[in-house]
Amino acid sequence: MHEMGVAMEICRITEEHVGTDGARLVTGVAVIVGDDAGVEPSSLEFCLETLFAQPPFGGAAVYITRVSGDALRVDYLEVDDGCPCH
Amino acid sequence: MAVRVIDVRERVMAQNDAIAAEVRRRLDDAGVPSLNLMSSPGAGKTLLLERTLADLSSSLRIATIVGDVQTQNDADRLARQTARLVQAVVTGGACHLDARQVSAALDGVDLDDTDLVFVENVGNLVCPASWDLGQTANVVLFAVTEGEDKPLKYPKMFQRSRYAVITKTDLLPYLDFDVRRAIGYLRDVNPDIEILLTSARTGEGLDSWYEILHAHVHAASHIAADAFA
Repeated sequence: MHEMGVAMEICRITEEHVGTDGARLVTGVAVIVGDDAGVEPSSLEFCLETLFAQPPFGGAAVYITRVSGDALRVDYLEVDDGCPCH
Repeated sequence: MAVRVIDVRERVMAQNDAIAAEVRRRLDDAGVPSLNLMSSPGAGKTLLLERTLADLSSSLRIATIVGDVQTQNDADRLARQTARLVQAVVTGGACHLDARQVSAALDGVDLDDTDLVFVENVGNLVCPASWDLGQTANVVLFAVTEGEDKPLKYPKMFQRSRYAVITKTDLLPYLDFDVRRAIGYLRDVNPDIEILLTSARTGEGLDSWYEILHAHVHAASHIAADAFA
């Protein structure tokens, strides 16, 4: 029920890491969701896709991995630095 | 294209939990316990607090932080029972309180002039269980007008609570609610949970509730005194 709040926190974590790293574009975000995390994975995926449609994400893909237990964390980001020839 | 991977491995709740830890430290330093009351909507959180404030305000300095999705109705009800400030948090749609809201509300509370903090969470048996608020203990309320199997349906809420307060027992003669079955289900999901049977309307079971509150106040003030010594 609070998936949108969780998704917004995932966006904040993503922006923080991208800002530190200096990458130009986020193309994918991988999230680990435990069965007991109190989060419905398909609802979280929907919220993330909605948020990732906005800048600065530009339609990043969402990769959700389900595990047992109550884990809920951002695992890794896929970023694109753009064409090095420009 | 030059795609690469950034390792993150960061817990989504990490920031909330860090703020909750800071809240817990503030309360511990001041020797003030806090109880986070959670339940489905309408289980009787506000009525239990109204009774508690009316009965204990002369002996305990109680601060209350009240969360609701919309309106300050509950905070207004509680304010009529105490001369002390009742902090209303309108979440504007969010289904739970988070540690940042509690921290901001505590900024308006003089902890040196407070014995006990109540947090009345948003009525919801799912989301509030996932958010640490820096509380000393969670209290889940469970009305006899609900099904006995609520603990089985919402196990996380009951597993994370130290106390289960069964409310509205004055209605038992008119209902098919089986108290023994409900207690059995509570123990199935949390064998250590302390169970109280109460009616805020008749006062049944409130003496046990008040004993728990006084025990928390006593324990927290001694911990703070020992740390200061």
